[in-house]
Amino acid sequence: MKTPLEILLARHQPATPKLDALRRSVVAELNNQATKEQSLPASLVASFLGCSNKLWLELVFPCRRIWTGLAAVWVLLFIVNFSQRDSAHLVLAKPATAGMMMSYRDQQKLLNELFADRSPPADAEPPKTFSPKPRTETLNIFAA
Amino acid sequence: MPEVADIEQLPVPQARAGNPAAWDALFRRYQLPLYVYVFELVRDEQAGLDLVQETFIAAVKHLGSLREDAKFGSWLFGIAHQKCLQRWRKRKEFLFDEIPEAPDEFEAAPDDLLIRREQETDFMNLLNQLPLPQRSVLLLHFVEDFPLEEISRITETPLGTVKSRLHYAKKSLRKILEENK
Repeated sequence: MKTPLEILLARHQPATPKLDALRRSVVAELNNQATKEQSLPASLVASFLGCSNKLWLELVFPCRRIWTGLAAVWVLLFIVNFSQRDSAHLVLAKPATAGMMMSYRDQQKLLNELFADRSPPADAEPPKTFSPKPRTETLNIFAA
Repeated sequence: MPEVADIEQLPVPQARAGNPAAWDALFRRYQLPLYVYVFELVRDEQAGLDLVQETFIAAVKHLGSLREDAKFGSWLFGIAHQKCLQRWRKRKEFLFDEIPEAPDEFEAAPDDLLIRREQETDFMNLLNQLPLPQRSVLLLHFVEDFPLEEISRITETPLGTVKSRLHYAKKSLRKILEENK
């Protein structure tokens, strides 16, 4: 004679290994969480970034993939920016062609001609200073 | 199954402190009874294992909501029961038929059921034939020997309803066992 409990437990006893595995996985996850919370690298990174460990764990760490993605984009932009700057320097540093040199010389010559002698000619009259005088009509009125 | 004294020795305070070894001990204690309960309700091995796992995870997450450490067992079964309900609701399988209350007919000492070896199959067959609410109450009564008040709390049903469900379930069981004597 058996009680209902004995019958039920005996019937489901074969599931015990699976239940053990299941229990171990849940407890292992719990262990991981506990160690994660107390992990040294996390606190080191937090202190390195200048934020508290709690802030790191609650704000940054859960979205670490997003932050990593953003950082990667920034690095990419930085690299692209640098490479473009380098190529611009290269363009400037290219040796001048003969045509360019010719046009440069022409422009230099023209400038020299334009600004060659800027001093006023020696025989030129000095500029007169204007002093207003009474008009003749006004003088006549006074004469009268 | 453990007596009240054993339940009091469960490492619930250590589990509250996040001690993995304490959780391991608690889960080890309840894994099989919980699986029996869940499996006999859903009748599917994989679903039963999944539900037990979900129950464990939810227990870790919500242990703060447990007020009395001594009620850990019924609290855990309550989570499992809710998980079963969620599963049925998702699948639209669950029909909770109400049974008229019969508290006057309730047997105060229903633990005298003893089943002979040749009746074991009949017992399991009957268990599977019982409507889910009755089966749930009967399993909680058999597996952990929870008091009616605890069963009422686990299943979130009034005490009178629990009494009547248990009464009808046991009546059916006795009938079958009497017939097959």
